[in-house]
Amino acid sequence: MLKDITLGQYYPTDSVIHRLDPRVKLAAVLIFLITLFAFQGPVAMGVCAAFLIFVIVLTRIPFSFMIRGLRLILVILIITALMNLFFTNGEHILWSYGVLKISIEGIKMACLMVFRLIFLILGTSILTLTTTPNQLTEGMEKGLRWLSYIGVPIHEIAMMMSIALRFIPILTEETDKIMRAQMARGADFETGGLIKRAKAMIPLLVPLFVSAFRRANDLALAMEARCYHGGRGRTKLKPLIYQKRDFISYFVLLGYVTAVIAASVWWKSR
Amino acid sequence: MDIVTARNLVFEYIRRDDDGNVEGIEKALDDVSLDIPEGSFVGILGANGSGKSTFAKHLNALLVPGDGTLWVDGMDTNDNDLLLKIRQTAGMVFQNPDNQIIATMVEEDVAFGPENMGVPREEMEERVEKSLSAVHMKDFREASPNRLSGGQKQRVAIAGVLAMEPKCIVLDEPTAMLDPIGRREVLSAVRELNEKKGITVILITHYMEEVTKADILFVMQKGKLVMQGPPREIFSRVEELERYGLTVPQVTALSYALRKGGIRLPEGILTREELVEELLKTGRLGLGMAPSVRKREAVNRKDAPFCINFQNVEYRYQPGTEMEVVALENVNLSIREGEFVAIIGHTGSGKSTLIQLMNGLNKPTSGEVYYQGVDISSKDYDRRTLRTKVGLVFQYPEYQLFESTVFKDVCFGPKNQGLDEKSAGRRAIAALQAVKFPEEHYYDSPFELSGGQKRRVAIAGVLAMEPEVLILDEPTAGLDPKGREEILSMVAELHEKKNQTVILVSHSMEDVARYAERLIVMMDGGILYDDVPGEVFKMADELEQHGLSAPEVTYVCRALSESSGLVLPELPTTVEEAAQAILERIRPC
Repeated sequence: MLKDITLGQYYPTDSVIHRLDPRVKLAAVLIFLITLFAFQGPVAMGVCAAFLIFVIVLTRIPFSFMIRGLRLILVILIITALMNLFFTNGEHILWSYGVLKISIEGIKMACLMVFRLIFLILGTSILTLTTTPNQLTEGMEKGLRWLSYIGVPIHEIAMMMSIALRFIPILTEETDKIMRAQMARGADFETGGLIKRAKAMIPLLVPLFVSAFRRANDLALAMEARCYHGGRGRTKLKPLIYQKRDFISYFVLLGYVTAVIAASVWWKSR
Repeated sequence: MDIVTARNLVFEYIRRDDDGNVEGIEKALDDVSLDIPEGSFVGILGANGSGKSTFAKHLNALLVPGDGTLWVDGMDTNDNDLLLKIRQTAGMVFQNPDNQIIATMVEEDVAFGPENMGVPREEMEERVEKSLSAVHMKDFREASPNRLSGGQKQRVAIAGVLAMEPKCIVLDEPTAMLDPIGRREVLSAVRELNEKKGITVILITHYMEEVTKADILFVMQKGKLVMQGPPREIFSRVEELERYGLTVPQVTALSYALRKGGIRLPEGILTREELVEELLKTGRLGLGMAPSVRKREAVNRKDAPFCINFQNVEYRYQPGTEMEVVALENVNLSIREGEFVAIIGHTGSGKSTLIQLMNGLNKPTSGEVYYQGVDISSKDYDRRTLRTKVGLVFQYPEYQLFESTVFKDVCFGPKNQGLDEKSAGRRAIAALQAVKFPEEHYYDSPFELSGGQKRRVAIAGVLAMEPEVLILDEPTAGLDPKGREEILSMVAELHEKKNQTVILVSHSMEDVARYAERLIVMMDGGILYDDVPGEVFKMADELEQHGLSAPEVTYVCRALSESSGLVLPELPTTVEEAAQAILERIRPC
């Protein structure tokens, strides 16, 4: 089950998409999502799909691996499709039974929503599949730096995110260790009702919190000892610098947006 | 030129109650004055709570003196403007390898210091490269810290400090959480930095063997600087050190015992070569009298029933996936009731997996584990009850404490067994008494105790279930010498008085030799040796090939018998045995 979650997972391979500056990818995802929901009509959707397929091919990630992530939202997809199919009010009713009715508009709407959801998941998973969490954080820090001028502590948020990334595996391992240790003292995490199980978590959660605080304390000391004093005056070992391919990508992105707008306008004026 | 100059340093921790009233003042540093010459290798020793760590934090200006002055390379640490300069001059490495690595990639972590200092990018590349090669970690540049061993992580931490180009490195118990191989890696890296680059090293440690080659040692006790001098001089004052809760290296302890036994030896012998040479010089070693029976009597347990049996046990992590790892292979093992067995081996040799198979936390991938003749992996076996019969004390067990009082925490196990309040309480008190936990703290919060006391409470938490077998996974890790001694003698007492079956996982050959009747050496997921300690240590050369070693005194005795024909029926493995064996074979003048 867990290995099915492709969302948020990095797929290590070498492709032009992998090598892109994370800021480009962040911008692209954002724009893609906006276009996905702002523009309607089958032609605009077709442009979205074409763009998506174009990028997926470029990532060199097996398509089967990528759609594995869709399995998780299969239920949501089905529910969305059914809701739209049966509850959309339309003029051309094909079939009805009580409150349930199927109309041509309903079928169109159901298709649109399902495609939107699929594209949404695929689009965002391309980002996480081709970008390490670290790059993402860095892209965010640099790409959103302007936010710091209006008082958003963007460096601190990015630092917190990257520390969280570093400590997630450590704390996961620690949870397992404490769980085993309490089981060795006869603790039972597996049986009983909801309340009993919730209570059984106390011997796990208290030590885990204590340990997390201890680690945080240690880490703060270690960071201070290595001259950490916030984001001011900091340099980077691997600063993000735009390459030629990044500029090209921005142009491609611009082309895509123009195409979607054009397709949408044409569809409406038809 | 002195890199560190301290004059009358005082630092107080003020404890306040909930309303902010002063409850007590603890002097962590009390009038400390010392000088550390540039380029020297300095050791700081002291029991837990002696003020060593507080002093170390002053060197890095993480703490500033309450009174007195501290100069680091001529800079007063009280001067806030010099803060970053001071931290750059005296870099610091901490005890826990995980809690000081900030980045998710080795090179990025090493660059963290220079990044903070605003070093330009090109220079940073160079610094990262140089620092990683200095600690021999260049090949791991792009690795994730989570995949490294403890020793490797500590070397990354050292590289991170080196990249700031410090004049001095302060290491606060950097080896406390490492296995012997990791310890050796870190120490040799540090020594190399000192010798080749002339960086001043200030090493705080609980392992005396690590500082025998230091230039100066400082000993602290309750915030005061109580001894200082070269190792030879400090380690010749055995009784004084003992008063401060410290020990001496094993070789020094042996020569001290021999001097007491009337052999004229110089004071403060530190290495085994030295001791052997000095003993040969006395010219009195010889075949002497016929060796008397001296060996600890081997306990005969042939008639005791088996409690744990392993038959062709194999254990794999995540079987059937790409990440499959074979942790144990073809393990056959029987342990009888009442035995005191020690298990030794490197991190990753399969020790932890082995002991978790014994109490049913792990199920064998193939093969069978029997407890008192019953297969514990069979479907209807009650593994929860088994865990109360085979009590397992994990490594750093104090991290599992969670209750509001010591007493309640110890009651957790017995209550899980289904005992009522009263009998659980009775068990808890008996267990706390067995670990010699002071009665006046029974109802204190376990989180406010010292490290050694917390560990006792955690061990009591397992003892209170009255297990038939007691397994301890490195119960002395991270403790100071006195704490180590106390925990081990407590376990030995349980074994002797109550005939408790004990399985002790340890990294220390010296401890194992003193207490265990039987020694199992694990290597790469299998059992390498399984015999009485004396027999295993005869394989000293083979052990060394696997990165392990025999106790120091064993080497001394072996060298003596090789170069003087001293007849030893069996190689001694403890200081007492060695002293007795040598003294018996000394010709009277």
